[in-house]
Amino acid sequence: MSQLDILDVPAKVISVDRREGDAFRAILYAPEIASRAKPMQFINVRVQESLDPLLRRPFSLSDVNPHVGTIEITWMVVGRGTKMMTQWKPNQTVHVLGPLGNGVGPDFLENKRKLILLAGGTGFAPIQLLGVRAREKGVDTILIYGAKSRHLLMNTDRLKEVGCKICTCTEDGSYGSKGLVTDMAELQLELIAEEKIDPENLVALGCGPTPMLAAIENLFADTNIPLYISLESKMACGYGLCQGCAVRAVDPQRGYYRVCTDGPVFLAKDVELESE
Amino acid sequence: MDLSVDVGGFVVKNPVIAASGVLGYGEEYARVGNIDWFGAVTVKGTTLRPRHGNCPPRIWETPSGLLNSIGLQNPGVDEVITHYLPQLAQFDVPIIVNISGETYEEFQEIAKKLADCPHVTALEVNVSCPNVESGGMAFGTDPGSCYRATKAVRRSWPGPLIVKLTPNVTNISEMAKAAVDAGATCVSLINTLLGMAIDIQNKRPALGNIKGGLSGPAVKPVAVRCVWEVFQSVSVPVIGMGGVFSWEDALEFIMAGASAVALGTAVLVDPYAPKKIVDGIQSYCESNGIDSMSSIVGIAQV
Repeated sequence: MSQLDILDVPAKVISVDRREGDAFRAILYAPEIASRAKPMQFINVRVQESLDPLLRRPFSLSDVNPHVGTIEITWMVVGRGTKMMTQWKPNQTVHVLGPLGNGVGPDFLENKRKLILLAGGTGFAPIQLLGVRAREKGVDTILIYGAKSRHLLMNTDRLKEVGCKICTCTEDGSYGSKGLVTDMAELQLELIAEEKIDPENLVALGCGPTPMLAAIENLFADTNIPLYISLESKMACGYGLCQGCAVRAVDPQRGYYRVCTDGPVFLAKDVELESE
Repeated sequence: MDLSVDVGGFVVKNPVIAASGVLGYGEEYARVGNIDWFGAVTVKGTTLRPRHGNCPPRIWETPSGLLNSIGLQNPGVDEVITHYLPQLAQFDVPIIVNISGETYEEFQEIAKKLADCPHVTALEVNVSCPNVESGGMAFGTDPGSCYRATKAVRRSWPGPLIVKLTPNVTNISEMAKAAVDAGATCVSLINTLLGMAIDIQNKRPALGNIKGGLSGPAVKPVAVRCVWEVFQSVSVPVIGMGGVFSWEDALEFIMAGASAVALGTAVLVDPYAPKKIVDGIQSYCESNGIDSMSSIVGIAQV
């Protein structure tokens, strides 16, 4: 048994700020988690020390700085918990459990020449950290990012700064191209095909609403490019105890996966995406 | 101070037990906490054959509560015996296996298999699961069925035998008496309260399985009342559970009549809860001149 590699730490809030549009960002001082965290892992946060709301809230890490010991989460308000978090004040402490989930290790980018990132809405948050790490390794990275409307897009400057190619779209055309992530991904895949890169040297990862993930899965089914997806689920514990965050496996023998410990990143072909 | 207490044929080193369904088989929890913090651990509801569990969504938060409809997802008793119990046995903590049958015969068969396993200290007979189609809670809502299910286990399991009761009845004491008449050495209560919620954004039930079991601080007063009533009607020890989140909660249950408490939802929210609760009970006892757990069990009874 692996022992004590997940910690529940009192993390000091360094800052909470409103970003562009509807997004908020908090930077927390949690060196024990920052030193361990891999891209696409998440934390389970106790919004406040009370019994209501009762459960922690899971958030992916949008950035990690192990040198100064900070982690960053980026979110939009969808309910009580996320709303309360916008009221966090610098220097207060919040309990953070992590790092959780498998995330992606260094082998994910092994032998890869190009990484294709596909994000929808708040699905951009974990993608940002993966994009940064990929660029640090010198992997050519393209982000295809969309949302319903401009205010639902998160700030992509961090990825721009590290030299990631960014294509943005909105369904209503209020920012970037008008259309869906899938439309833009289709175009980009055609361009990538012209580069004649061996599919073994390509890898794609998507994070966003279920219909978007289902659509990109269809699109990538016609290619030989391995597509990973990172899933979101309501969860209680975040580390495999409760079986609450089940997602149906394609393999009927397997039944269900737990998004928290079997994921949150899965090979797209391994999970059944059920639209809510 | 010595916090040990007898819970019906076996002794736990402290009165804080892991409830069924929150500790997996120990391997996940061991990444975060110390299994030895618990006085005993209860293994998740184990059935004769593997069960994949219910359709998601399986959990839904309510005010100070958690609705779940996991549906007894487990690999089946054979796999539990060969693979999971030996690894859990590495820890120096008594293992209670929670078992669930669809028929009396199944209960007897599961118990028989576990009787041959050296790692099991006690069985907890689940006659109270609200999340399965057949069996489950049906056994625990009629005294005759509760008696027969307990008796079926008693026939093939000679050791400590706990029966876990549902609060979804008019008179929980009748169920407790039936279980004890059939040979239970301990009763544990409460399992979750049957409940449901509607997701108004999707205009449909919040849980994939429509109804679920409510746990957490929201159910605590119901649980304390049930423990109070059952303590008065049976002479075997009671394990109290339902919204125990703090050492104060634990003492409330103990003073109502519980010999020990079990933590469920609390562990999901705070993995360090067992340690905090054991330490809190310890300091309370020390500062109040209490020298044994048994001296405060049911002390509030009037």
